[in-house]
Amino acid sequence: MPPEPPRVDGWIGFGMLLVAGVSVPLLTRDSYHLDVATVILRNLLLTMSLRYVMSTGQLNMAHVSFMGIAAYASALLVTRAGWSFWAALAVAPLLAALAAVPMGRVALRVSGPYYFLISFAFLEVLRLVFNNFFVDYLGGPSGLVEIPPPHPLLLTGGAVTFIGKLAQYWLMLVLFLASAAVLIRLECSRFGLVNGAIRQGELLAETLGVNVPRYKLGAFVLGAFFAGVAGVFFAHSQRVLHSSDFGLEPMVLLVVFTVIGGAGSVWGPVVGTLVLAVASELLRELHHYELLVYGLVLMVVMLCFPDGLVALPGRVARRFGWGRAKDGASTLGAGVAP
Amino acid sequence: MPIELLIQALLNGFGLAVVYIVVALGLTLIFSILEVINFAHGEFYMLGGFAAYYLSAVGGLNYVATLVLAMLLVGLAGVVAERLVFRHLRGKTLNAFIVSLGLLWVLQATAQLSFGVLDKSVPSAVSGIVRLGGVIVSRERMFVILTAVALIVGLYLFLKFTRTGQAMRAVAQDAEAAALQGVNIELTSALGFGIGCALAGAAGALLAPIFAVSPTMGALPVVKAFIIIIVGGMGSLPGAVLGGLLLGAVEGVGTLFMSSAAVNILGFLMVIAILLLRPRGLLGAA
Amino acid sequence: MLLELREVGKRFGGLQAVAAFSMTVRAGTIHGLIGPNGAGKSTVFNLITGVLPVTSGEIHFKGERISGLRPSEICRRGIARTFQATTFFREFTVLDNVMAASHLAVERGFVKTLLATAGYRAREAAALARAQDLLDAVRLQDVAGRRAGTLPHRDQKALSLALVLATGAGLVILDEPLAGLTTQEGEDAMRTLQALRADGKTILLVEHDMRAVMGLCDVITVLDHGVRIAEGVPRDIQANPAVIEAYLGAEDTRA
Repeated sequence: MPPEPPRVDGWIGFGMLLVAGVSVPLLTRDSYHLDVATVILRNLLLTMSLRYVMSTGQLNMAHVSFMGIAAYASALLVTRAGWSFWAALAVAPLLAALAAVPMGRVALRVSGPYYFLISFAFLEVLRLVFNNFFVDYLGGPSGLVEIPPPHPLLLTGGAVTFIGKLAQYWLMLVLFLASAAVLIRLECSRFGLVNGAIRQGELLAETLGVNVPRYKLGAFVLGAFFAGVAGVFFAHSQRVLHSSDFGLEPMVLLVVFTVIGGAGSVWGPVVGTLVLAVASELLRELHHYELLVYGLVLMVVMLCFPDGLVALPGRVARRFGWGRAKDGASTLGAGVAP
Repeated sequence: MPIELLIQALLNGFGLAVVYIVVALGLTLIFSILEVINFAHGEFYMLGGFAAYYLSAVGGLNYVATLVLAMLLVGLAGVVAERLVFRHLRGKTLNAFIVSLGLLWVLQATAQLSFGVLDKSVPSAVSGIVRLGGVIVSRERMFVILTAVALIVGLYLFLKFTRTGQAMRAVAQDAEAAALQGVNIELTSALGFGIGCALAGAAGALLAPIFAVSPTMGALPVVKAFIIIIVGGMGSLPGAVLGGLLLGAVEGVGTLFMSSAAVNILGFLMVIAILLLRPRGLLGAA
Repeated sequence: MLLELREVGKRFGGLQAVAAFSMTVRAGTIHGLIGPNGAGKSTVFNLITGVLPVTSGEIHFKGERISGLRPSEICRRGIARTFQATTFFREFTVLDNVMAASHLAVERGFVKTLLATAGYRAREAAALARAQDLLDAVRLQDVAGRRAGTLPHRDQKALSLALVLATGAGLVILDEPLAGLTTQEGEDAMRTLQALRADGKTILLVEHDMRAVMGLCDVITVLDHGVRIAEGVPRDIQANPAVIEAYLGAEDTRA
């Protein structure tokens, strides 16, 4: 049987994201819709980067903390140190990645559910720091306010300002597509393969020559970097930062988006984020019922589709006998060697 | 610093901690039997609080009857949750986390829709204070502490001396071996979950007269419970007691030096320290 | 000599699992490690591959000390192993399994991977070709696209071997490679191992099938209760009274 062709589905998927992203402003100029689309893109960046970390088996509950570190860093660089937004955009995610190195190292000293718990502790510690310490710089319980929007960009043909929803959407789209390109490329390369191997069998990977802690830390830091990119955008589009933006509720939502979609595939978070964003919009009018329906959906999906929604087409296909040799469920015979 | 101030601080810390220990015991009991981390545990605490409200403030029942009935009702809710949802998730941490999150939202939303969002108050059973040397304790707090201790001791006796309790300990140790010895895993699992939730409900009913009852009242206790069982050792019941006392002491003394909002950070720092130095917790199994 | 264990000891708390164990494995040979159950054979493998640290003694490979290095580093130096339990990546296809194991060959940098430079792509293509050859060598080419977790036992064993070979290791350590195979499958496996030796690989294996061990191995080391009790060619080992005693003794305790 011929081996698989090189992974083209990565490019097809990216192409679809590109087309979808570019067509949104063509379909609507309504500022509310653009805002929703921008938030979706920001969440996509967060969930795809979270998923990259999770692909090595690290369930990192402190992902939004890195978003926060970069957000506060960028806000302070711009408001206190007089930096331009663009300089802050280049540097703040790097600061988040830098902070991720010691935190990642510490978390890697424990495994499994304890890793989950220690990252959860990091999340809360950082949130409490954002909320109660260094109040002169971070704003304390009332938050950090009056963060300027991105500074105008001088291009040939004039300056582009970023105050309106449309311009912000384009900015987020560019940031997202650039990041997604990197994440998809990595997933389809040997890094994706090695990450998956680590998740499925750390000891085996190690004895096959993979320096597991180094790879895990690398994934952790990379994830933090992209969370930082989202954080910088967040700071200058929301223009107000509050510790609750980087606490348990947003983190939990990210985990839900990722796992509902399916953490086993790079497209899982995309599916999960989009489906739940749409669901959230549809339910918005229902107030408390929104929470109720959300909760029920979560429970039902996790109980019925433990691998996430992205595995759904595969399961449906198999049920109808369209299984490919790939998953082995419908091959004839037991594959005895000749 | 005057010694009375320190003792008062410690006592205040312990007074709360002992109730959080009850919540933590419920959480760790469930973890030891089913190997799931039930994030919705705080909602059962909340249900206990509302049960106390409706039974005592609205229904006029006395303290003891309210407590017993609240425990039974919440325990029953726990059994239902186990049968419908958690029995399918035994051992699957990540999925159980997400599902329990969903359950949390379902229970939250249902509570908000049924009971309204405003705080409710529950009348105190007793009033007055007691003086021990230079230290002051309200009679009510005394009651709460004594009841909580009674619950803890009761749980210990139940697990040590009753058939069902021993079955639970067997399943917690090694479910397969227990099954081979004839233990009914399904029944043990359901009862264990029910008792765990009943404990949370008891804690909610106990603290209802002291703090207000609201749909979101479960958020803080469940976080404390997690800190306690991580420090003490997940699945270890004596560990939960030790972890709780430690947390109570640290937070009690902490309030002398920093604001109550900042004190919360101490618990998480304890968690990080424990996970680095002794990940299985002070009394956890290796 | 290729691999040298010098007075290696391993202690677990109060239990001395391996004591003053010395063994030399020569390049290009098939070397067997046998002994009754619980003798410490798997522990020795864990010590060699760095999964467990030695408590005393040293291990040298190609003249360099490897005891104390992490497993991935030891693998890079040229030692790879299988485990007694199934050892492959269940969710991956067979081909992806081998590609994951051969990542060592496509080592170069993050940025080059990101940009998919010509050099990276050439190396990927070469790795793919190598993977296909490997699958042919262990006769898994027909199931290359199947999810590894769905394979029958014989194929699982073959896949474990393919993963080890994919690392390019010169010393291959196999933990019970014939366990669970039918007579025919076992004979095929033995032929595969002999072909590997002919190719220049060195093989160190643990096996309980005595006929296979005597037929395959150039040298045999016998381990009992963590201590070496004999070493030599199969003929001498078979006749060695201490070896017979060790196995008969094990028989008695089981009776």
